[in-house]
Amino acid sequence: MNDETRHRTEPDGGHTTDGGHASAGERTTDGEHETDGGRATDGGHATAGDELDPSRIDGHADAAEEAFPPLGSIKRWFVTTNHKDIGILYTLTALFFLVFGGVLALLMRVQLWTPGGNFLSPLSYNQAVTAHGLLMVFWFLSPFAFGFANYVVPLQIGAKDLAFPRLNALSYWLYLFSGVLFGVSFFQGQSLAGGWTMYAPLNLPTYMPNVGATTAILALVLFVASVTVSSVNFLTTMHRMRAEGLTYWRLPLFTWTILLTVWMMLFAFAALLAALLILTSDRLLGTTYFAAEGSGSLLWAHLFWFFGHPEVYIVFFPALGVMAETFQTFTGRRLVGRKWFILAMILVAVQSFAVWMHHMFLTGINLQVKTLFMATTIGISLPFDLMVFALIYTMIKGRIRFTTPFLFSFGALVLFIIGGITGVFLGAIVLDYEFRGTYWVVAHFHYVMVGGVTALIGGLYYWFPKMTGRMYDEWLGKVHFGLFFVGFNLLYFPMFLAWETPRRVIEYDPAFVTWHQLATVGAFVLGASFLVMFWNLSRSLFVGEEAGDNPWEFATTAEWAVPSPPPLENFPGTPSYGSGSLRFLTTERALTPGEGSGGAPGVADGGTTAAVGGIDHDLDSRGLGGHDPDRSHDPNHGHESHASVWPFVVGLASFVVFLGLSGFRDGGLPPGMEGGIYAGIAVVGTAFLAFALVGMARQRFRGPAGPFGESWPFDGVENTKLGVWIFLASDVVLFGAFIGAYVFTRVAHGWVDWHVVPHDPTPGLVNTYLLLTSSFSVVLALVAAEKGSRYGLLAGLTATLVLGVGFLANKAIEWNELFHEGLTLSSSVETSTFYLTTGLHGAHVLVGLLIVLYMMGRAARGAYLDDERPVEYFGLYWHFVDIVWLFLFPLFYII
Amino acid sequence: MTSTKLYTAIYVVLFAMATAQVLIEFAGLAYWVGVAAILALSSLKAVMVAGYYQHLRFEPPAISAVVLVGLLAALVLTFAAAYSIL
Amino acid sequence: MHTVGSVVAVVPLHGEGILPTGTRADVFREIFWVFLLLGTLVGVVVIVYMFYNAYKYRDGGARAGAVDGRERGAADDRPTLGELPTGGGGGRKLFLSFALSTVIVISLIAWTYGTLLYVEAAPTEQEDDVLEIRVEAYQFGWAFTYPNGHTADGTLRVPQGETVELVVTSRDVFHNFGIPELRVKADAIPGQTTTARFTPSETGTYQANCYELCGAGHSYMTAEVVVMEPDDYERWYENTASNSETPSNATTANSTTANASASVGGDR
Repeated sequence: MNDETRHRTEPDGGHTTDGGHASAGERTTDGEHETDGGRATDGGHATAGDELDPSRIDGHADAAEEAFPPLGSIKRWFVTTNHKDIGILYTLTALFFLVFGGVLALLMRVQLWTPGGNFLSPLSYNQAVTAHGLLMVFWFLSPFAFGFANYVVPLQIGAKDLAFPRLNALSYWLYLFSGVLFGVSFFQGQSLAGGWTMYAPLNLPTYMPNVGATTAILALVLFVASVTVSSVNFLTTMHRMRAEGLTYWRLPLFTWTILLTVWMMLFAFAALLAALLILTSDRLLGTTYFAAEGSGSLLWAHLFWFFGHPEVYIVFFPALGVMAETFQTFTGRRLVGRKWFILAMILVAVQSFAVWMHHMFLTGINLQVKTLFMATTIGISLPFDLMVFALIYTMIKGRIRFTTPFLFSFGALVLFIIGGITGVFLGAIVLDYEFRGTYWVVAHFHYVMVGGVTALIGGLYYWFPKMTGRMYDEWLGKVHFGLFFVGFNLLYFPMFLAWETPRRVIEYDPAFVTWHQLATVGAFVLGASFLVMFWNLSRSLFVGEEAGDNPWEFATTAEWAVPSPPPLENFPGTPSYGSGSLRFLTTERALTPGEGSGGAPGVADGGTTAAVGGIDHDLDSRGLGGHDPDRSHDPNHGHESHASVWPFVVGLASFVVFLGLSGFRDGGLPPGMEGGIYAGIAVVGTAFLAFALVGMARQRFRGPAGPFGESWPFDGVENTKLGVWIFLASDVVLFGAFIGAYVFTRVAHGWVDWHVVPHDPTPGLVNTYLLLTSSFSVVLALVAAEKGSRYGLLAGLTATLVLGVGFLANKAIEWNELFHEGLTLSSSVETSTFYLTTGLHGAHVLVGLLIVLYMMGRAARGAYLDDERPVEYFGLYWHFVDIVWLFLFPLFYII
Repeated sequence: MTSTKLYTAIYVVLFAMATAQVLIEFAGLAYWVGVAAILALSSLKAVMVAGYYQHLRFEPPAISAVVLVGLLAALVLTFAAAYSIL
Repeated sequence: MHTVGSVVAVVPLHGEGILPTGTRADVFREIFWVFLLLGTLVGVVVIVYMFYNAYKYRDGGARAGAVDGRERGAADDRPTLGELPTGGGGGRKLFLSFALSTVIVISLIAWTYGTLLYVEAAPTEQEDDVLEIRVEAYQFGWAFTYPNGHTADGTLRVPQGETVELVVTSRDVFHNFGIPELRVKADAIPGQTTTARFTPSETGTYQANCYELCGAGHSYMTAEVVVMEPDDYERWYENTASNSETPSNATTANSTTANASASVGGDR
């Protein structure tokens, strides 16, 4: 609940226009769309206060806000936007994918019981290898960590929810449906079978013609969309919505690891998206990026590993955060060298973008680059030494309690040390040459990655009481750990001994049979250990001891200061560290953590009254209740929305669109019925998606409102604006990677010999003029809106629309002429880069125009005059698109 | 913020610079000199659009930093990858 | 640890026994064992230290009384719910360990970097002695082209004791040519070439594998590598001259850059 007085005077609070209306097609799922809502303000609405309800002013009938069903209702889980619910959904879904990927791993281990066995066909084995890697890395590890992040981070930083709760739900549904899409790929002939690294050109239809392979890649695209939405959301939240007194140095370590993880995600996944979009285009439209001799294979390797190495830390950092938290809690000691620990992590996060070529030491890159990347690789290992020692020294003088979470964290540290040492072997290029493509690599990265999983499992036990209000069975937890740790080492250690086995083969030297059989036994022990966990946790859900607010002595972070599970809006007052330790401020007095949780009766999520102070009365007096049918039923509800079915609908619609698209190949469809069906699905899906996006945009939804305690360095930058900028930063990387791909390809084929596709720069120049002018007209529209001129605003937007349509029409004419000259997408790598890069830009223009169209409709009814910010935020996007063209034009037309 | 006049002036300058880029191409400069000049003009235009139309000049510098970090990442990828095969 | 630290100082001293020399197999063996020994040592020390501390500072148990006594003295020192985090002490110890590990890692890598330069260096004097063989990967096998244009599929014959340079490329997808026992490995990438140099020291038959997943036949994509007595090899090689199947282009394509794509025939 907010301190009402401050709420009204804080200029920066107010509106959270969690707009949505994201279309999933290209890279359009987030950021820019958040601006178009404009009506989704909370009642507080900056200084204006009570009377303003923009939706009323513009005479626009918004869909009514949805009621929020109770916890036991099935419907709740489809409409919830609450971070704790989403966290639980993430956790459960990720565990499902753990089982999925784990079963595939067991199939592989059965296959490897004897060399060259025929349990699986070679192609089935390759699919199992590929799907296992992709599922574990993408659909299990990060989402599992983000289950905790969703649940715990807002609690730790003192926020009532994420900045954009509806987009958070959208992230989840996109994630779930991307996983479902991946599952579908197995039923379309054959899924991807080229390993999780998907090396080119094996990933092209020439070598992997099945529809399923395309579907798997599209599933990844959808997954990246989910990650991007999520990154924008978390970054905005963590930078803007920290409790008073929570400066960066004082953030809990788990939150720190998530903060750095999300920053890495934002940029790394943008590069992956570029790689995947190019690959999708190669498969669906017939461009020839990765088929190009002499550049394609390496281009993929660069793009993939530029993402792939940060991904290692993206996956591992949350585990590190869990380790730091549990080490502190269960040793009763504060982390040794905390600041250095944080600095080390920052260093790793930055440097992770400069080590990727160590995956490419044998590809014939030059010696200077190899040396450089060897140095950065070794450099990045050193901060980890510091972190490991810091954790170890934290135990000294502690009172160590070997609970299940600590055992898992402790075990994870042991495994990570082994993984780290064996990784140094790979840093030595001479050794790397020999280890490349062998089980040494397999063993090493499983020690690191599954070492991370070990810590995350510890995190599951650690936060289980908080999430469920029940204690797990400690004895069974220890049994789980015992089986897990033995199984783990039995599985992966023999791989070091059999390291000369090539990766991903079913035939191997019989000399290694014993080691591989040991590993298989270990795999089943490891798998069985999870049965213990599932039994323990699901049983404890019903019969477990009631866990108090803080079942762990010496826990310090704020999630332990609230009931288990926490009430819907988390805190019994505004959390603040202003006095030097955590207090919950209400209008009447400050509650200490003990008082707050003990005193506030709102135990159950979504439960009954937790009326603190006079806030509810205050709200009523503002006359907001009339717009909010839900409030009369649920006085605890406050003034924020928690329910929206649209994220689910958008997720489902995106799934249908992508399923339809998967049938395309080389710019056409499969012949006959099959092609018709795919085309039909795509068309229906697109209509469905359009419906869903409009529905989401029109819905009135209020996210958490300010004021927020700490927002440095983004004080005064409203949440949505920051969200737009963060999204644009990832878009910079996306376009940067496309341009990088072009530059790389052009260098590989000889820069000066490159054949510039358009012979005439005139259409490009005209388009430059058009876009520049449209940028100007958007600025004029904003000025008009600021002045309150409806016609000025409409004129500006209309001019923008006309200029944008002119841009696209001019491009269409130009392309049509080029096509007639026989220069198609698949003519050469030159035409491929030209069409695809400028095409991606054109898609951005198109999305912008759809937003303009939507805004024109609303502006005609008088919107944006009292609050021009949506126009401003659209402008940010539009100018960005303009800037991109300022570089594409010279790069593709004149030099 | 700034007035319509300023926005208009910037628009005129941007328009002129776009024209100049194409003229440079036909000016008969040495290839790489021309490339450098054209890209420099593009960068200048980008800075003007970002600084005024996106009013980054008037925002906290942290926002510019966020975008610049993304730009830096993209440049690292581009140049390191291209250099690796030289 | 002390000896390792001093390695840095003597890295430039080539050929005085510090830098491993010999065939790639020798070099690998030597470095691998040093890493393994040192890695095991460091790992065991650190992990044992972890367990020691975990045991020493365990809660409760027989030392319950002692712990209680101490706890009372240090009660203020325990973290409390809702406190703001502060950096714990122990910074000096942390930095000492960090510095030590840094020295170990950097010395090891500096040492192996010398070896890398040695391995990658082109043997300048016996340049003519290098036998250049072109290796072409395809789904799913290996074709070898000798300087005289002779092409063989699935079997690579090389003379013992002579330096062989493999120029590796691919006709279709990304493969990787590796002969584990001879410690030879090179990526096979369509449209470009990579090189790997080795000197087989013992005659015999070895197996080459593909080390990059390349499709259904990946597991079975092997080749036989026969290291022959130099005389036997010469005799065999003489006989092949007549039945060369394709005109050689292997000798011209020795560039390791991606530019050298012109000479490669694709099958797409």
